[in-house]
Amino acid sequence: MPLLVPATLIVLVFLAAPLLILLRYSFNRFVPGQFMVEAFTLENYAKFFTDPYYFAVLRTTLLMSVGVTLACIVLAFPLAQVIARASPRSKPMLIILVIVPLFIGNAVRAAGWMVAFGQKGLVNTALAGLGIQPVTLMYTPAAVFFGIISVNLPYVVLTLQSVLEGIDAHLGEASQSLGAGRFETWRLVTLPLAMPGLIAAAVLSFILTMNAYATPLLLGGPQFQMMAPVVATTILSQNNWPFGASIAFILMVVTLCLTAAMNLIVARRYGR
Amino acid sequence: MRRDDPFSRKPMSLGAVRDGAIRACRNAIEMMTSHALTLALQRLAHGAMVAAALLVILLPVVLIVWLSFFTNEVLALPPEGYSLRWYQALAGQPQFLAGFRLSAIVAVAATMISLLVTIPAALVMARMEGRGREILTNILMSPLIVPAIVVGSGLYIAFVEFEIATDIQLNGATLGLIAGHALITLPWSLRLLLANLGGLNPALNEAALSLGATPLVAALKVTLPVIWPGLVAAALFCFVVSFSNVELSLFLVAPGQTTLPIALLQYLQWKIDPLIAAVSTLQILIVAGALLVTNRFVSLAKVV
Repeated sequence: MPLLVPATLIVLVFLAAPLLILLRYSFNRFVPGQFMVEAFTLENYAKFFTDPYYFAVLRTTLLMSVGVTLACIVLAFPLAQVIARASPRSKPMLIILVIVPLFIGNAVRAAGWMVAFGQKGLVNTALAGLGIQPVTLMYTPAAVFFGIISVNLPYVVLTLQSVLEGIDAHLGEASQSLGAGRFETWRLVTLPLAMPGLIAAAVLSFILTMNAYATPLLLGGPQFQMMAPVVATTILSQNNWPFGASIAFILMVVTLCLTAAMNLIVARRYGR
Repeated sequence: MRRDDPFSRKPMSLGAVRDGAIRACRNAIEMMTSHALTLALQRLAHGAMVAAALLVILLPVVLIVWLSFFTNEVLALPPEGYSLRWYQALAGQPQFLAGFRLSAIVAVAATMISLLVTIPAALVMARMEGRGREILTNILMSPLIVPAIVVGSGLYIAFVEFEIATDIQLNGATLGLIAGHALITLPWSLRLLLANLGGLNPALNEAALSLGATPLVAALKVTLPVIWPGLVAAALFCFVVSFSNVELSLFLVAPGQTTLPIALLQYLQWKIDPLIAAVSTLQILIVAGALLVTNRFVSLAKVV
């Protein structure tokens, strides 16, 4: 199959090989002033889990991932339902409204939130109009929280939408005609049927938050640290490749394990 | 015998019957209004949630475009007035112009490489079935699954090692950026091409060949028209993915050799003002334009 060679080669040369080098370097030793010393040690991984600073980074990232994911699911479900049931005329419009922000880049969207959260931004201007004292929002975890929700929400909405679209509308009608209320119908019919999509959307949101870079950097400020910015700083600014490589690998393993677990659960419980 | 057995009760007085009836009516009305109220409240809450979700998605885009038209240089609401002066001021901002140029060059080159390698792959894969196709899909989609920041770390270190070994500089060079972006656009290209190849019947090509067409003519006159919509969509999508990338470019740029999103990111770490909002708005226009054109060829709802 010579036609498959060029594409596969690109992935092997520019992804697989660099990842192997990264893995090997994560076992090396970093000696300040001497850059990197060949070794075969697990001390970089041990440092990440024992150093309170990095453990706090991991905890912040995981807490943020859980919080953002819950908020995203709750916020996205009604919108996804509206899109799934929209008329053939309005559906493409709604989908474009959701997709375009997805691809305009995280830096630009973070900039938009800076306009909302600034000292004289939208939120504080609105509060002043109500006679309320201004609040500091920029460079707080709350700003990062809203910023990442905004980044993840389109993905979650689209994932849920595609599953909800496939659910037979007659099932809901049958449930209501048998006497179930709207909420009961949603809880007992729609939700179980949408479960595979819900799991996929939740895992996607979790992974995106774990790997968020531009949003925590711009909205969280220098004091607020999450995994992805720490990887970049450790490798690019501190030149500590072994430690940076080990954090990158931890990040990747968590991401891949979550993806695999999701695929397995969805396949096991919901058959394909 | 239980005390409240209806048959053991004494006959009720007329007044008690009337009171009972009134109470029953009142209860029924209350129940009905409260049911209607619950329904109305449910609908209101649902509408509010939908509005909130759309707001969270669209608000930052609207705000940054709005800011780009402010007269005042420092972010303060409400604006003192509106003007286009920040768009004129862009002409005097070499770092953004250079960033725009580099981003465009890298995006076009990466898109071309991606298409060149994925078109043949997609044509073969469309005819494959079962385990082989699954494994191949997993390999070629992996740049999308591995976190971009990890891909960036790996490429950066690999490029440094490559430079030490061969003296060819890739970090901070256009070539390095193009290679990295070709890698991350490849899965998108493949996905869009495959999504649109379902309709390609290999018998068509064989028919053309048996009717005397050369393989080149068959490819141009039979295969190309069938895969054309997917091809255009794939090209535009690759362009968008490359043009707006931050996480990978971050590792591969150098001072004086910066893509537009990285120039944006660096400026925003320092301050936010209408000038950077104007730059952001340009990026929004380019991406939104490309996506709207894509949507004419392939329904975006089906590919993302």
